[in-house]
Amino acid sequence: MLNSLWNSFRATRVGRSVFRVGLPQSNLERAQVAISSFFLHFQPAKVNRRSLKFGTTLGLGLISLYLFLILIATGVLLMFYYVPATDYAYQNMKDLEFVVTAGQVLRNMHRWAAHLMVLFVALHMCRAFYTAAYKPPREFNWVVGVGLFLLTLSLSFTGYLLPWDQLAYWAITVGTSIAGYAPLVGQKLKFLFLGGHVVGESALIRFYVLHVIVLPLVAIMLIALHLWRVRKDGGLAHPAEALPLKEDVSQLPGTKTYGLMELARGTTPAVGIKPEDEVFTWPNVVFREILLLMATIAVVLILAIFWNAPLEEIANPVHPPNPAKAPWYFLGLQELVAYSAFWGGVVVPGLLVTALIALPYLDRRPKGVGVWFSGERKVALTIFSVCLSAAVILTVIGTAFRGPNWSFQLPWKPIHVEEPSH
Amino acid sequence: MTPAQNDKLQRRAFLTLTLGWCSAAFACLASVAAAGRFLVPNVLYEPDRRFKALKPEDYTEGPTFMPNLRVFLFRKGNTFRAASAVCTHLGCTVNLAAGGFHCPCHGSVFDTSGAVVSGPAPNGLAWFQITLSRDGHLVIDTAQFVKSDKYLVV
Amino acid sequence: MDTSLRKFYPWFTLLGLLIGGLVVVAFYKDQHREWKDWQRQYIKDEQARAATPEQRADAARIPVEVRQIVLSELDRVDRCTSCHVSVEDPSYAGFPLPRSYHPNHDRHPFNKFGCTICHQGQGRATTRQAAHGRVEHWNQPMLDLKYIQSACAKCHLPGDVPEAPQLARGRAVFEESGCIGCHKLHGVGGVVGPELERVGASRSPEWLLTHFKNPAAVTPGSAMPPLKATDADLEALTLYVLSFTGESLSAYYVSMKTIPGPLAGRRLFAEKGCIGCHSVAGKGGNVGPALDEVAKRHDVEWISAHFRNPAAVSPGSVMPQFNFNEQEVRALTEFLLSLSDTNIVGFMKIPSLMTAVERGKAVYKKYGCAGCHAADGQGGVPNPNAKTAQQVPGLKMVSEGYTKDELKKRIMDGQKEIPVMDPKKPAAPLYMPAWRGKIAEGELNDLMEYLVSLAPKGEKADF
Repeated sequence: MLNSLWNSFRATRVGRSVFRVGLPQSNLERAQVAISSFFLHFQPAKVNRRSLKFGTTLGLGLISLYLFLILIATGVLLMFYYVPATDYAYQNMKDLEFVVTAGQVLRNMHRWAAHLMVLFVALHMCRAFYTAAYKPPREFNWVVGVGLFLLTLSLSFTGYLLPWDQLAYWAITVGTSIAGYAPLVGQKLKFLFLGGHVVGESALIRFYVLHVIVLPLVAIMLIALHLWRVRKDGGLAHPAEALPLKEDVSQLPGTKTYGLMELARGTTPAVGIKPEDEVFTWPNVVFREILLLMATIAVVLILAIFWNAPLEEIANPVHPPNPAKAPWYFLGLQELVAYSAFWGGVVVPGLLVTALIALPYLDRRPKGVGVWFSGERKVALTIFSVCLSAAVILTVIGTAFRGPNWSFQLPWKPIHVEEPSH
Repeated sequence: MTPAQNDKLQRRAFLTLTLGWCSAAFACLASVAAAGRFLVPNVLYEPDRRFKALKPEDYTEGPTFMPNLRVFLFRKGNTFRAASAVCTHLGCTVNLAAGGFHCPCHGSVFDTSGAVVSGPAPNGLAWFQITLSRDGHLVIDTAQFVKSDKYLVV
Repeated sequence: MDTSLRKFYPWFTLLGLLIGGLVVVAFYKDQHREWKDWQRQYIKDEQARAATPEQRADAARIPVEVRQIVLSELDRVDRCTSCHVSVEDPSYAGFPLPRSYHPNHDRHPFNKFGCTICHQGQGRATTRQAAHGRVEHWNQPMLDLKYIQSACAKCHLPGDVPEAPQLARGRAVFEESGCIGCHKLHGVGGVVGPELERVGASRSPEWLLTHFKNPAAVTPGSAMPPLKATDADLEALTLYVLSFTGESLSAYYVSMKTIPGPLAGRRLFAEKGCIGCHSVAGKGGNVGPALDEVAKRHDVEWISAHFRNPAAVSPGSVMPQFNFNEQEVRALTEFLLSLSDTNIVGFMKIPSLMTAVERGKAVYKKYGCAGCHAADGQGGVPNPNAKTAQQVPGLKMVSEGYTKDELKKRIMDGQKEIPVMDPKKPAAPLYMPAWRGKIAEGELNDLMEYLVSLAPKGEKADF
């Protein structure tokens, strides 16, 4: 009965204007599905069988994407209550916590997803390195990825200021001061970003605009480019050998929907791949993607329901907390800066970012693509692991082992100093 | 596998899938509903529509204009009435005039009971519920309408 | 159905159920709020009390919602009435908190004052702990009721509120102890210790009390001597010092008729046309004297008497009788005092009908000399490493060692460098400030009389 109702609607003018093409009826139409359906269009019709294995990528890139989508959804909702002015921002945060329905949980989701996204983007980058997924033809995609990593950090940093509490204010003061150490342009850039010399009204509105429209737009464009390049570069990086046929993955789909690639012959972007190595995206890949999305949402929800995002006292420009710490992903930097502002704050991070961007053009040996910790890349693996460990250790020190006046303390024996009364 | 086993598997898979889809659909709908409810404000930063005025003895005989919510308070001896000063045409504040109210914007004229005498106003002026609070103050509720002949007697 | 995907179906179901469950949990957590229970109880009470079915229907219609008082002039929003629903309803007197009536609620109507301006706490919160401010990251928890009188001083002068005797007592203790000898308040006072402008907002009552009893316990290395006062007096002093919050309430509140402060006085000054005969900051008439430094020439009593009847205190004056009421006299006096920024005179009156010695004693109190030299010049306040027996010298024998002129010079010049016993140890923390420009000529003379009078009869100094 529903079927006939549906069909009658499809026959009307309105129905025909919305659904111009029906479900595929002929083989040709089925072959064209990959082009005419939006959700199947940005994925290839078939993927290499290795892409189905969780261990190939651990889904880290997808998780980062999902976290980004969660951030957009929660962020837009939060925008209905938040005013980016120093007189209102903090009070709006209190309102969200106390009088807005679901305000607290949505804010928590936003904050947790933000921190997780920084973490997972970093993990995704590590995965791409450890599986040599930056080697030709994927060099440019790696560079786009580094750009996305820096964008993620910027998005998190600009958002960090918005609650306008002590944590936010002083983290941004510290962070922008570190940036100010860059030679020649550092101070000028700092002045431009803050709209002044100190963090104040201007800084808040600038950071807000960057956070809600400028950086997300750039991020969306780069993500689109990043995903398109994955397709253009032949799918996820994998070694040349075929995966042994253990799983019961059907070669011909149970339904009579054939992708174009199956019927047509000739060159494809993935040349020389035997048909046994590929499986249809729908439903194999899409189903796994949906599961991963659900898992990500579940984790973010659990964190958001049981752990509240912090909100300290309202920002007090006169009275910094002791110690004043940057957001956790910059604490490694802050630790370095404690030793030397120039070398630690400018040279080392500058060199690291340059090295990351230049990496695929420096290391072009086609060894070990798609293999975790390949034995043929020992030098590259060692260098990267050392740098990664150093970054992690520095961040851990900055987070847990630094107390008042940046003095060394054991995390389980925190040092207290008497605060001057202001 | 035998057809019977295959059937059993099919049925179990179907039930599992259905449960999965139902809870996923529920979660989606609930989230959308929650987002919608999130957008409905629970507190307003406007003057309260139900406000506490002074004690009855603090008001002079005759009309008193309360500018915050645009209300005329009328005292006649120990009876009180409260009328809206908002013209029902396009929202200007009406003035008191001999024999009623007069709107300066487009010339609507109302009589003493708020009914339209002439002019473009479509309806008469609203009269608000006025009560006495437990601590002896007048309480005017601009969200509750009453007939023009309803008085509060103190 | 693709058999290879079948292995995922349980996962799909599990995750779907998990997310569904989490959404339900989140919803429940969000919807279940303390204040809703209190409001429902209130509605039940109202229904039970209803005398007529119409009243019961009215009571049933009371909505359960967040209640708040928006106070834009005070930059606050108070949501206390979300739980404390019946604070304005006298028929709830005697009920247990939070349902009880707030006594004398009409004195300071809630829609103009809210709650947190007196009681402190976190007005925007809607849970008990957070609203009472007893949470991390909120520096102004609700004041213990025994300190509530300190809130009066935010708008009123301490002596003006008969219902706040603790406040007045606290102020008296403050004057006796000579705190402003070392601490600045409202721009007047010594610089040995920190300013007191905001100390009531940044220190808890417990900290303050301990500080008065034993300063070194809360401020290591402090040169402040423990205060010699009874426990009750120290509680009153704590209450008074708690009122130093540095908040400047808008003119709206200060202009109210019951608060005759300098702002009200300024308005009157403008209204009555005083500038026609008197000048301020060089502008105005010159029939009468310029008013900028009037507070340095005359004390409070004289100025107030002058407003009541100019000819009586200033013979031959052509100033008309304005017939001000007491509030107006007070307001105008406060305004004139504020012109020379010796507003401290406002709460430290030096009446003119005293002997010179009595006046000198008042000057001693006014400038906080007792802070270092102790009450009545007894001395005994520790000053580590100072050559004068590691103490601030007492003043009882001061007239033996110095002439009046020498004494005046000592006071005007001060002594920043105090000779030390052991040059290797740190310098003595307490020193004599320079009082030139801060103390009036007449006050100095009276002070001399007082200091001379300190010498015990018949004794001679033994140095």
